[in-house]
Amino acid sequence: MYTSSMLKKEFLNKWIKGLQICCSSKNKMDLMERKKKIKLSADIAMASANKTATSWSNALISEAKKNKQDTILVSQLLGSKSPLKLQKSTNMIISIHKRVQCKKILKRSCFNAGKRMMKKKKKNLGISRSNFATTIAKRLVKKRTKVLKRLVPGGESMDEVSLIKEAMDYILSLKVQVDVMRSVVAAAEVLIDDKLLKLVE
Amino acid sequence: MNKGEELGMETFQFGEEIQSLMAVVQPPEAGNSFTALLELPANQAVKLLHSHEETAPNNLPSSVFPSAENSLETTTSSVVPNSSPNNVNLVKQEPIDSDSMHNSSPNPSDPVVSKSTKRKEREKNVKTSAKKIKSVANDDGEELPYVHVRARRGQATDSHSLAERARREKINARMKLLQELVPGCNKISGTAMVLDEIINHVQSLQRQVEFLSMRLAAVHPNIDINLDNIFSAESGSLMDYSFPGMVSPQPLSHQLWQPDGLIPQPLWGVEETNPNFITPENSFLSYDSSGNSVSLYTNQLKMEL
Repeated sequence: MYTSSMLKKEFLNKWIKGLQICCSSKNKMDLMERKKKIKLSADIAMASANKTATSWSNALISEAKKNKQDTILVSQLLGSKSPLKLQKSTNMIISIHKRVQCKKILKRSCFNAGKRMMKKKKKNLGISRSNFATTIAKRLVKKRTKVLKRLVPGGESMDEVSLIKEAMDYILSLKVQVDVMRSVVAAAEVLIDDKLLKLVE
Repeated sequence: MNKGEELGMETFQFGEEIQSLMAVVQPPEAGNSFTALLELPANQAVKLLHSHEETAPNNLPSSVFPSAENSLETTTSSVVPNSSPNNVNLVKQEPIDSDSMHNSSPNPSDPVVSKSTKRKEREKNVKTSAKKIKSVANDDGEELPYVHVRARRGQATDSHSLAERARREKINARMKLLQELVPGCNKISGTAMVLDEIINHVQSLQRQVEFLSMRLAAVHPNIDINLDNIFSAESGSLMDYSFPGMVSPQPLSHQLWQPDGLIPQPLWGVEETNPNFITPENSFLSYDSSGNSVSLYTNQLKMEL
């Protein structure tokens, strides 16, 4: 796919920039810290390489910003071109929170109203089988959409329609990320092996 | 009152997104009620409306108008503009079965509104036998304030169920796209199972990212990556190449990957400025297949052991 390779290029560029930035500090980081930094730079590179303004990328970036340790890295990586984008993402996050709260209030009120309806419905014993099956299916689907919402960054506040679209984008870019990272890791490992062999010799 | 009119339906598509459902022209059935909605932009709709003169278009009492407008509003749903044209273009190359959504101007002229709402009212009263035609959002990012949906035979025609059905169809269309994206999902039927697969896929991808970053962290005690040369990876050949079997080290040849069919002419140079291997510079990986001008991939890793 033509855009996927362009995406890979961009992602690789940004990721290496990020790694340079985070490893320029001379601290000795242990394994977990290093891994976190690597992953973080990869994520941010992924999110920013996505030219189209998808909401999951904004959500990723703004989440990273919240974590104060990482803001420096983020801002350096993103550079000067995207203070607007950062602002947009923070605004989005704020509006998302508000939306989530409103939805919760609605849900609570609907739930209470629904309780009363359920009590009335329970009196009606003539529940057909097909209704039963469909309600079970609906419940399953609901559970799974909840899980998906948790997985996709920024998915909490989206309705189902846009959630699916975001999931598609996210899956595509995750694939790109995995491919690039795998190749880099493989290259690095080969290099290290060579070096060790040379040392032994 | 001649209610047996039929309108030829045409669907239009904006953008290159969906080449699906073409016009469904319903043959007029004797004694059948009219079919409602048009999926045409306002001017076209006006044309059509004028061409098919309703028997009592002017008899609409003005009092009906505001309520009709309300019904129009409730039965339509707004569609979020498509904000990621690239990816969606890629993914949506696959034809979608029966969805094509449409853009109608947000301010239909008054006569159009009145006529369409009046038709809707009529539709509510009478069952229709026309199939449902829907149109999907176009790619240009235009706002779609209205989605015109026709009810199927025997289905409820009140506004809520219409809107719900429109929404459900949208969701189903996108689920189909997702199914094609995730490998192994095509054979599964049923939303819940498909969602299961999608969730598993996303989780596995995320876990892979974590593992890979862990591996990378484990490889070097301290990574200092120095890009001296700008690398440009040609689309396709290098980047899409996967490396499950390439990790076996070859101590003498720093060949890391071999594009298919290319005779590699490695230009790698292992520059070791210091004989003691404290700060060697290794440049790995530059293939210059001059014959193909495929790609030059150069990286320099400065490693401090």
